[in-house]
Amino acid sequence: MMDFLTSRAFKGTVFVLLVAGLIILPFFLRPFGLLLVAMWMVHAVAALGLNLTLGYAGQISMAQGAFVGIGAYCTGLMTLAGVPYPVAFLCSGALCFAIGWILGYPALRVQHHYLAFVTLAFSTLVFLVMRNEEWLTNGIYGLTDIPRPILFGWNTGKAKDFYFFTLLMTSILAFCVWWIIRSPWGRAFVALRENPVRALSLGVDTRRYTLMAFAMGSSIGGFAGALYAPLVQFFEPNSFSLTLSLKLLLMVIVGGAGTFFGPFIGAATEVLLPEWLRIAQGYYLIIYAMLVMVLMMFCPTGIIGLGERLISHLRQKKISSERSAQAQVMGADKPGQKEGAGQ
Amino acid sequence: MTPVLQVTNIRKQFGGLTAVDGVSFSVNEGEILGIIGPNGSGKSTLFNCVLGQLQPTEGEVRVDGQPVTGLRPCDLNRLGVSRTFQLLQVFPQLSVRDNLILAGQEHKGSMGTRLFGARDAGLTGDANRMIEFFRLSHVADEKAGGLSYGQQKLLDAAMAFMAGPRLVLLDEPAGGVNLTMLGHLRERLKAINAEQNATFVVIEHNMEFVMALCDRIIVLAEGKVIAEGTPDAIRSNPEVIEAYLGH
Repeated sequence: MMDFLTSRAFKGTVFVLLVAGLIILPFFLRPFGLLLVAMWMVHAVAALGLNLTLGYAGQISMAQGAFVGIGAYCTGLMTLAGVPYPVAFLCSGALCFAIGWILGYPALRVQHHYLAFVTLAFSTLVFLVMRNEEWLTNGIYGLTDIPRPILFGWNTGKAKDFYFFTLLMTSILAFCVWWIIRSPWGRAFVALRENPVRALSLGVDTRRYTLMAFAMGSSIGGFAGALYAPLVQFFEPNSFSLTLSLKLLLMVIVGGAGTFFGPFIGAATEVLLPEWLRIAQGYYLIIYAMLVMVLMMFCPTGIIGLGERLISHLRQKKISSERSAQAQVMGADKPGQKEGAGQ
Repeated sequence: MTPVLQVTNIRKQFGGLTAVDGVSFSVNEGEILGIIGPNGSGKSTLFNCVLGQLQPTEGEVRVDGQPVTGLRPCDLNRLGVSRTFQLLQVFPQLSVRDNLILAGQEHKGSMGTRLFGARDAGLTGDANRMIEFFRLSHVADEKAGGLSYGQQKLLDAAMAFMAGPRLVLLDEPAGGVNLTMLGHLRERLKAINAEQNATFVVIEHNMEFVMALCDRIIVLAEGKVIAEGTPDAIRSNPEVIEAYLGH
C-alpha cells in the first residue's frame, strides 16, 4: 500500500481522477463556481511556471505576477485590436520568454535574496508601466470587454465553454511542464539548484540553463496571463501588483516547491480556500496565516512534503512491525528446535 | 608524444598572496600523477586554475596540445577533462542512478535533442554498468543524500568517470573514507586506469594511498614545486620531509 502511494501509477491515477473530476464538475457548479475553479487553474499554471524557475532550478523570482500581467495585457490589447486569440496567446508566451531571458542575466551574477530584489525591482517597474503608460495600457482604467475566443467555430463566450477551454489549455501547459521536468533538462535544473559548481564541472552549461529556467518559467506565466485576460474580461494594473507575485510565491512554497503537483495544491489553498473559509468571515486571513506559519515551521517542503513525510513515517512503522513480528516468530521457533534437537 | 595535460608556469595571486607560484608539470597518457603538499601549499588552487574554476594570473594550460587556459569548466569537461572536489559534491535529491545519468547527459546530443529525446538520454545502461563497477547496485535507486559518506565518495568518483574522460583530476579522493572503502576505491581507480588507459592527476594527503596509486609524484610547498619523482624517491627526499615535518 505504502509503495503504491509513492509509485508513478498512483501519481498517474491521481492526475486522471483530477482531470475526470474537473470534466464533470461544470455539471454541478454554478457560473461563479466555474469562474472560481477556472481561476484556480490559471493561478496553478502561473505557479507551475514559477515552480520551474524556483522549485526546480532554484532561481528565486518575485516577478511572476508581472509576467502574468504582461501576458494578460498582451492578449487583451491584441484581441481588442482584432488579432485572433491563438496569435495573441502565442505572442504573450513569446514576449514573456524574451523578457524572462533578459531578466535571467542578473541571475548569472547574483543569487538568493540579491536576486529576489532584482526581480522585485523588475516587478515594480512593470507595474509602473502598466499604471502610467496610458497610451498603451489605458492606465488605472485598465482593459475592459476583452473578448473570449472563438476557436474552430467553438464559441467559448459562456462560462461553461470557457471553463472547458481553460481546462484544455491548463492540461496542455501542465503536460509541457511535466515533459520538461522529466527530460534531461529537468535533471539539469535540479543540478543547478543543488550544486551549480559541480554541475558546471560535469558539462552542464549553467549559464544557458539559468537563462532557460527564467525564460520558460516567465513564458508559462505569460500564458497564464493570456488565459486570465478573457476569463475575467476586465483587469487593471493592481491585479498584477507585487501582491500577485508574493501570492504565487506562497502557492509554490505552500504546495511544495520542486514537485509537479505542488503548485496545484498551493493555488487551491490561495484561490479556493478563502471561499471555503467564508464561514470564518474576517478571521480567514488570520487562520490562513497561522496555518502557513505552522506548515513552514514543521514542514518547509510544503503540503506535498508533508504527505511524503507521512508516507515515509508509515512505511518505517510498517517495516518495524514486520521486523518485530519476524523476531517473535523466530523466538517461538527456537524452543521447538531445541526440543527437536533433544529428541 | 604530446602530453595529455601540460601546465606551464601557472601563477595565481589573491591580492598580495601568491597561492601558486610558477608551477609547471606535464602528464602523459595512462599516467597517474600525484600532487602532495602540506595544507595551504596551493594544490587545490592549482587544480582550480587548471580546470577553469579560477582564472590564473599567469601561465598556460594545454590539453592534448590544445590551449585551454581560462576555458569554462563545462567546456573543458566536454573536451574530456573531468574532476572530483575536495568536499563531497553529489546531488543529494537525485537518485544514485540519476546522479550518474546527469554526469553523462551533457555529452549526448544538443540541448534541443535533450529536451525532446529520451528521459535518460540513453544512459541507463552506462549508469548501471558504472553502478555495478563501483559496487553501488544495492543503493542505485536511493537518493544520494541518504548514502553513507564512503558510498557518496564512491558515487562522486563514479560521476567523474561517467562520460569516459581522457583526463580525471581527483581532489583528495580518500579524504574521510574508511580503510575498507579506501582499498576498494584504490582498486577501482587502478582498474579504470588499466582498462581504459585513463590519465589521472590526484591530490591526496593520505600518503599510503597516494604512494600505492601513483606512478609519479610532485610535491608543492608554498605554491612552488619542491620535488618530483617516483613514490620511492619522494619518500626519501629530505626537502619533502622538511616541508612536511618542518625540520
